[in-house]
Amino acid sequence: MSIVVGSVDAQGSPSCCRAIALSSNDDLRTVTVYLPVATSHDTIENLALTRRLAIAAMFPLDHSATQIKGLLEETRLAREDEAPFVRDRLEAFASVLDAAGVPKRLTRSLVHWPAFAVHIRVEQVFEQTPGPKAGTRLQ
Amino acid sequence: MSVRLRDIWRAFQGIVPSTVVTADGQGVPNTTYVSQVYMVDDRHVALSCQFFNKTRRNVDENPLACAEVIDPVTLQAYRLRLKFLRSEKHGPLFDTMSLRINAIASHTGMTGVFRLIAADVFEVLSAETVTRFLTDAPREAPTEGVSLEGARTEMRGLQWVSERINRSADLESLLASVLESLEEYFNFSHTAVLLFDDTNRRLTTMASRGYGTSGIGAEVALGEGLIGTVARERRVLRLTSLDADLRYGRAIRREAAASGTLDTEIPLPGLPDAQSVLAIPLTVGERLIGVISAEDRDPMRFNEWHEAYLEIIANQIALGLDRMIERGEEAGEPGPATIAPRQATPAPEPCRASRRFTYYRHDDAIFLDDEYLIRNIPARILWKVLGESQRTGRTEFSNREMRVDTSLGLPPIKDNLESRLILLRHRLQEKCPDLRIVSIGRGRFALQTSASIELVER
Repeated sequence: MSIVVGSVDAQGSPSCCRAIALSSNDDLRTVTVYLPVATSHDTIENLALTRRLAIAAMFPLDHSATQIKGLLEETRLAREDEAPFVRDRLEAFASVLDAAGVPKRLTRSLVHWPAFAVHIRVEQVFEQTPGPKAGTRLQ
Repeated sequence: MSVRLRDIWRAFQGIVPSTVVTADGQGVPNTTYVSQVYMVDDRHVALSCQFFNKTRRNVDENPLACAEVIDPVTLQAYRLRLKFLRSEKHGPLFDTMSLRINAIASHTGMTGVFRLIAADVFEVLSAETVTRFLTDAPREAPTEGVSLEGARTEMRGLQWVSERINRSADLESLLASVLESLEEYFNFSHTAVLLFDDTNRRLTTMASRGYGTSGIGAEVALGEGLIGTVARERRVLRLTSLDADLRYGRAIRREAAASGTLDTEIPLPGLPDAQSVLAIPLTVGERLIGVISAEDRDPMRFNEWHEAYLEIIANQIALGLDRMIERGEEAGEPGPATIAPRQATPAPEPCRASRRFTYYRHDDAIFLDDEYLIRNIPARILWKVLGESQRTGRTEFSNREMRVDTSLGLPPIKDNLESRLILLRHRLQEKCPDLRIVSIGRGRFALQTSASIELVER
């Protein structure tokens, strides 16, 4: 999946940041999204101020997409035991992009570690596949 | 690190989907993928509004947005801070963005469902490289500026193509030399010329280069598919990410499938794995002559420079084609067929085979030994000369007698007779080499056969 996180600062100025992995252990009541430390400064700052997050996840081969909106519960540095999961998700993303013509070596060059683990409580889930149903609330 | 938009043009080609984040009046962010962020100029970008979505509603409440675009060659990301300015529902920007969407919509059978509502224009407040996005700094591909040497080459290229057009003796050689020029000068290896027939509102492939089979005779209706859309809108179309665009179009089609009847998807003519397409309408004034198209497997093959430059060359080609078609109509007739100056033609080989031509009146089509050969006016011409030849033994014919025969249905002006004869000649060459139509001087042609012919009408 291609995952991008949107946040907003106190003045209403939005910011975006590419995430590497997304997990949920409780049927999407909460999710944890992994953001590279190197590229997520603005997002982490915004979350500290406004706590609001919008995560868009898309499967690049058919553009099927979902958006999750929620409130920050916790931001922490991802643990070493989470590194294999993050690497595995990056590798899966590389395989998908490879099928779309992007060489794996390029995708593998995305900086992904160390990462922040951002844990949010999910408030809304939306269908976001382009088309007339885009924006329909799923949860 | 700040960047100029023009220096990151590859990131605006829609090959890797971009993302846009907006926020509503209460500060709730919204993140969405968009098929393309369109670069308007160095200070402005536009987003296509196809559905009245949350992004569109948000920017009405809060004009600030953030977009991430990605260079498909290096995978480097760039972050753009944006401010919404206006929605354009007509004008050059709208037309350009709309053409691309209409072409994809038509190609995926989504005409009318998948369409541009507005081009939403944003001011770019800042554009920056996302530092440390990649483990290694991307290797820069050479920039595509036009050097002095390049400028000289462009001038020579224009002169060269024009000269070839002017030197062409007939329509067939003109079409061939145009495609040859495009390959030699621009390395465009997969090209085709389609001519427009006003009588049936369709475009017919008249010449092609670089494809396994010529595809000559393949047709597309005005407004259908990529080529048909270019012809109807009379605007250049450059798709640099055909695969990604089609996936996007198919995603919408899948979502819309339950809500109504959709057109059948039209197979792309030419390369089955084409990644980029450049299609240019050939027009003289407002009159459509045809379309010239080029395809490539490289998604970044065609750039804005090709588009602009080839438009100029396309004008030359259109004028040349129009002149050639008119010349064909004005060709004088020297009198009875028997005294026409005759070119040396090879004697027909001894009869080897038997060929059955069946004309299906209801379908206006000729089948050769139960295989489709040709239809419409070229079919009627073939049927006329085959019948005449069988009844009287005559094998030589003039263009004029075709023009005065109202049963053939040629339009009174701009009848494109020569292009119909080229089409017929090529179809016979491909499907029935035993039967040939050869030119025997201006405005005259002969039927040559080395097979015994059976004619059946149904």
